[in-house]
Amino acid sequence: MKLKKILFFCFSFLLFSLCVNAQEVNVRGTIVDESGLPLPGVSVSVKGSTSGTISDIDGNYTVVAPSSATLTYAFIGYTTVSEPINGRISINVSLQIDSRNLDEVVVVGYGTQKKSVVTGAITSVKAKDIENLPITRIEQALQGRTSGVMITGNSGQPGSSSTIRVRGTTSFGNNDPLWVIDGVIVDAGGIGFLNQSDIQSIEVLKDAASQAIYGTRAAAGVILVTTKRGQEGTLKVNYNGYSGFSRPARKLDLLNATQYATLRNESSVANGGSILFANPASLEKGTDWQDAIFNESAQRQGHEISLSGGNAKSTFYLSFGLLEQDGIVATEISKYNRKNLRLNSTHKVKEWLTVGQTIGFSHEKNQGLGNTNSEYGGPLSSAINLDPTTPLIVTDPAVIGQSPYNEIGIVRDEFGNPYGISKDVQNEITNPLAYMKTRRGNYGWSDNFVANAFIEVEPVKNLKFRTTLGAKLAYWGSDSFTPVYYLNGNTKTVQNNINTSNNRGFGWNIENTLSYTKSLAKHNFNALIGQGTYIDNNSKGSSVTYFNVPYLNFDDAAFPGSHPELDKNSSAYRGVEHRVVSLFGRLNYDFDEKYLFTGIVRRDGSSRFGSNHKYGVFPSMSAGWVVTNEGFWKESKTINTLKIRGGYGTVGSDAIPDFAYVSTVGPGRNYTFGNSPTSVVGYSPNQPSNPDLQWEETSQLNIGFEMRLFEDFTLTADWYKKVTDKLLRQQRIPDYLGAISDPYVNIGKMENSGFEVELSYSKKIGEVNFSISGNATYLQNEVKKLGRVDFLDSDGFQTLGSILRIQPGHAYNEFYGYSTAGIFQNQAEVDAYVNSSGAAIQPNAAPGDFRFKDLNGDGKIDANDRSYIGNPTPDWTYGLTLNIDYKNFSLSVLGQGVAGNQIFQGLRRLDIANANYQTAALNRWTGEGTTNSYPRLIDGDPNGNFSKFSNFYLQDGDYFRIKMVQLGYTIPKDIISKANIQNLRLYVTGENLFTFTKYTGYDPEIGGGALSIDRGQYPQARSFMFGVNLEF
Amino acid sequence: MKLKAIKRTTALFLGLAIMASCSEDFLEADGNGTFVEDQYYSNEMEAFAGLTAVYDVLGWETFVGRIAGLNSASDDFYAGGGSSTDTNELQVWSNYTLNPTTGPQGEFWAKGYSGVFRANILLVKLPQVPMSQAKIDRFTGEAKMLRAYFYFDLVRLFKNIPLITEPVGINDYYTIPQVAPEVVFEQIEKDLTEAIPNLPVTVPAGSEGGRMTQAAARALLGKVYLWQNKFTLAAEQLALVNGTPGATSPYGNKLLDNFAELWNVNNKFNSEAILEITHTKGGNWGAWDNVAGSEGNILNQMVGPRNYRRLDTIAAPDYVSGYSFNPVTEDLFNAFSDADPRKDATILNLKKMVQDGVAAYTAGYKDTGYFLKKFAGRERNRHTGGGAFELNWNQNTYEIRLADTYLMEAEALVRGGGDISRAQALLDAVRDRADMPSIPATEQNIFNERRLELAGEGHRWYDLVRTGRAGAALSARGFVTGTHEILPIPLLELSNTLIVQNPFY
Repeated sequence: MKLKKILFFCFSFLLFSLCVNAQEVNVRGTIVDESGLPLPGVSVSVKGSTSGTISDIDGNYTVVAPSSATLTYAFIGYTTVSEPINGRISINVSLQIDSRNLDEVVVVGYGTQKKSVVTGAITSVKAKDIENLPITRIEQALQGRTSGVMITGNSGQPGSSSTIRVRGTTSFGNNDPLWVIDGVIVDAGGIGFLNQSDIQSIEVLKDAASQAIYGTRAAAGVILVTTKRGQEGTLKVNYNGYSGFSRPARKLDLLNATQYATLRNESSVANGGSILFANPASLEKGTDWQDAIFNESAQRQGHEISLSGGNAKSTFYLSFGLLEQDGIVATEISKYNRKNLRLNSTHKVKEWLTVGQTIGFSHEKNQGLGNTNSEYGGPLSSAINLDPTTPLIVTDPAVIGQSPYNEIGIVRDEFGNPYGISKDVQNEITNPLAYMKTRRGNYGWSDNFVANAFIEVEPVKNLKFRTTLGAKLAYWGSDSFTPVYYLNGNTKTVQNNINTSNNRGFGWNIENTLSYTKSLAKHNFNALIGQGTYIDNNSKGSSVTYFNVPYLNFDDAAFPGSHPELDKNSSAYRGVEHRVVSLFGRLNYDFDEKYLFTGIVRRDGSSRFGSNHKYGVFPSMSAGWVVTNEGFWKESKTINTLKIRGGYGTVGSDAIPDFAYVSTVGPGRNYTFGNSPTSVVGYSPNQPSNPDLQWEETSQLNIGFEMRLFEDFTLTADWYKKVTDKLLRQQRIPDYLGAISDPYVNIGKMENSGFEVELSYSKKIGEVNFSISGNATYLQNEVKKLGRVDFLDSDGFQTLGSILRIQPGHAYNEFYGYSTAGIFQNQAEVDAYVNSSGAAIQPNAAPGDFRFKDLNGDGKIDANDRSYIGNPTPDWTYGLTLNIDYKNFSLSVLGQGVAGNQIFQGLRRLDIANANYQTAALNRWTGEGTTNSYPRLIDGDPNGNFSKFSNFYLQDGDYFRIKMVQLGYTIPKDIISKANIQNLRLYVTGENLFTFTKYTGYDPEIGGGALSIDRGQYPQARSFMFGVNLEF
Repeated sequence: MKLKAIKRTTALFLGLAIMASCSEDFLEADGNGTFVEDQYYSNEMEAFAGLTAVYDVLGWETFVGRIAGLNSASDDFYAGGGSSTDTNELQVWSNYTLNPTTGPQGEFWAKGYSGVFRANILLVKLPQVPMSQAKIDRFTGEAKMLRAYFYFDLVRLFKNIPLITEPVGINDYYTIPQVAPEVVFEQIEKDLTEAIPNLPVTVPAGSEGGRMTQAAARALLGKVYLWQNKFTLAAEQLALVNGTPGATSPYGNKLLDNFAELWNVNNKFNSEAILEITHTKGGNWGAWDNVAGSEGNILNQMVGPRNYRRLDTIAAPDYVSGYSFNPVTEDLFNAFSDADPRKDATILNLKKMVQDGVAAYTAGYKDTGYFLKKFAGRERNRHTGGGAFELNWNQNTYEIRLADTYLMEAEALVRGGGDISRAQALLDAVRDRADMPSIPATEQNIFNERRLELAGEGHRWYDLVRTGRAGAALSARGFVTGTHEILPIPLLELSNTLIVQNPFY
């Protein structure tokens, strides 16, 4: 009943004010920008009413308003100006560019907050920072621009994703942050659908205090993406397009044929073998396989066009994007293309009712090398390992008539010449040109719809009820044809096949929030309660292969209508839904924007845990103090603003497979009885049950400050300590228990601590606008507990066995191997390397072999002499951005780098003695005093110089890269305005122009589950592009 | 109007609160066909699926396969392959540089205990399965026989092993000790003895071939006794299996007339087979990262000559290019008399074919020009259709065949002071089938005969170790007597457990 009274009061108040201000006037004027040029599209509104207008092309406006009213002039990117009419009929306004962003708003999850009162550690990237960049995937927009976030490209294959770590490795399981696109939770792998010029802002929630509102799945960080919405005003059309080319930034130095033959002879003879190549010099340079597969001018282009606008009732944003990018390696089978469509709109149906929606659709098509970033085949690995003595193509009729060139399935070039087949290097290493032909046309595709719709009701002023329904629907699959081929004796197939695979994944969520904002005197409150339901992984798919189809290539191939059953193969699956239900609440309070407080609690229930621990509660608290708002703070020219803030909270993770808490019984343990050609399907238990399995919990303490200094500097610094407890991981149980797989256990504890600094400076000196900003992140990780085991061996490499180890007291995943102490220069040194009983420590060693350190001093070299010899995760990541505007010219430069990590270089196949070498092998040991770092070459490698994982394989991974340079020129407005064009800007962009590193592989930026393991990384391209921005 | 909105809002919110409250059920994920152990084994079909899972382990054949490994370690074969590190687990066993981290032990240990675990769980579940007692008894017999088989391999390969005969509770995972080998043998004998009466005398080959029978269990029991030098007991069991030398046994077994017919891949479950491990090409297997999951026989692919090419399609047989593992040693080649038809059935002499210019191949590591013909894949048998043909060979292998039990009984008789004339008759029967003249049934002669008759079938290394001959035969390879008779226990099994490494590793 009280509510009714309030309503009545409000209503009569409204009526009353209308009566009093009934006298209306016509106000007109011109709106200009700082340089006096007219500003069209500025929204002019009458404060306290819904009436208003938009300035026209010449910046003119006319509005009808009560003579005592106040007019508000707002335009995005400019400071909003309020002018009381005071009886005037002409008001001209000049709007200033809002460079300070003092009233900048950040998205905080279920709402926005003024940056000045935010108490959590949140980094934002705004549209203007990334709008004109030719970025293929949006995570690249964060690289180098945000502190506390490490972005590492997984591959130079166009369209491929990056490894993202927010404040380090949080978990033994999932470390991919939670992506929330306009309120819809999307898997990290599924953000490729976003078009970067549709993005209004990206916010990274880094500390628990800000993440806690996404409790369940927030532990690895949360990235909120907000897409653009239309602005009230005239229709705006934007076009951004670029076109250019990419090329490799670096090639490896590999041996040529003469060098290769010489070294192979040496290696063979050293082992008592024969001379393999009678006359190395006669082989000359041989084939340069890298030249054969690298493309010096791979095409790249992107076009984006958007239309936006609206009136006081409805606004919309519509865009279409197109992107095509060719890979620099084996371009014929390395391509990416994407088409995007987006429609966002908002409608104010009633004063108290707003509805809106976002719909994004994308179609992606990609062609990949196959075996990308793998040492097992693929064109790049083949180019590195294939001997240069094998010819590109064979033209000698005598040779063609002979084996192997008379085999069925020999691959030929367009003139019918067979591609050369190596006599010496076999296994999966094949002529890359022939390999490319076997995959020609094959592609993968995906269609993504990500959409949400909301209804917001405001029954009482400042009380908002909002229902949001979000959904993502993804279809993906692949189509391929594999011809009959013979690439070498090991890599061949005598039957062709055609395959199609189709998958569907659907997930949705519904969220209801109720929020209320209230200010009482200087006390400002904002309270939010909400409830959410999330369903994920409603997926299914199937794959069908027909063998021995009557076709020769991809273009002609189809599924024959009738085909023998025995030549068909198929598989299908249905996923298990992942379900989460949540209740959450948040309270923001500040006193006079001086003392700030935020408290959040979220309770989540997950289908991934048993009844013992289905629910997890994740609370957080944070507080801030804006010192410079205190009365005692004298206006200072040194420190203009200062906010100190701190927070503590806990977030969780349920990123484990479904049913990990029970013992499931699985199929596929088949056996064949009698003469039946098919097997009986056997079932047996998978892993032992663990009913006490529970949430992984990450608690984080964050302390930071934000300040503005000397008017022109802004400085943000944060220190944090993040502890992940009850880490979920499969715990190895002894093999004598006979289980198929290990049970999931809350196994351990891990700590990340570090600090982040963002410093920027901007200044206008005469006509030059200058700004520079830098960020640096230091991170340390330590595993504290690891359940029952002393250590865990993770990633292995070929025949070296495991190369990474996880052990308490060390960082997650450190390189673990032997240490070398130089090379035995002569027999006397070998003989002198004995243990206490006089026996040789390395009995198989000879001069030219590595001396391995006997670290445990037991007088022999074995697995116990391994130790921690490097860390694949950088200590430091940093970025630097520079922007200079002068008149119509603009220059921006982005640099980015890491320091303090080691890279494992595993480019050469260890199990193929005949594989080619890098030219570093020319500096091998050949006699006393020749070298102390590269051992002799000998087949069989009796001392294990190459077959033991030692520091020999590690190199420093530090690099600094000029990621992007862009030079733009804006055509003067007086020229273009005649053509009704608002803005026309031309630019040239260079990507990856310089990389400073000592690393000798293709590229020091190596992503993946375990970073910095170079298996023949598809390198990032160097690109040059010319682009246009057009607005009318 | 606003009032209406408030009412609507309230109703909506209440509705949603109700929705949220029925979340208990909502959070029970729909398994989409996932079975949970507690509810499984509830009918005969599921019990049989559980039994099949035990059999499954018999057929596991990875690149580090049982036969390929045992061959590599013996004096009859090298590991071979593409290079000195190709399938290194086999290489280090072949040249006796194996250590706790590198070697085939991980594969064999995991295989054995996987079988044991699956048998153990089934044995616990079987009594409650609603099906006929006869079925329960038979399944129980099969599970016990299989468990005995797995333990026999484990105790021979590792000697000091934990003995687990029922599912282990979560609190005992890390506290199971090793036991004396005698204790393991006792369990094996017990399992086999208990299994025999429950097993069928014979099974219909076409539908049930490969399932355990009384003959198989007795033969295995005899073999277990022989390993322990319990000659009288061994001879007794094996005599029951063998019956009259050369004639059809009480269980219906008889030597094939033609030795070479044993290696005809279509000749499955022939009269000589007692315990046969099955393979099929019908699985269309294509997962290279899970070779063990295939029901095919990878050995056929592994031992084929590398990059084999027929220059003369008439004179050169239709072998498929393989990976050139297990090249035959000169020693074994020379051990056969040229008159012995088993030589040509066992060894593929590519050396000669190359000399004759009818075929070519690429020499692999430790190439001798001789390949293991018994298992080398043939073009005519190559799988077509789905999957990878390399992973879908369908040749079964003999775990125990009649010639083996003949020779084992003969050996038990000779070494145990039994009936020498019967031993002679048994040896003669084996040699006679190969058209070879009679030789005296001495211990050495019987031993030599085992080598020739069973070459490449995975018996030789066990025989060398069992009879104490391994040192003499293998010291040139690096074999150290007192160490290499058993494998090291996989290193990881030692961490956080009570397991102690085998001596000298």
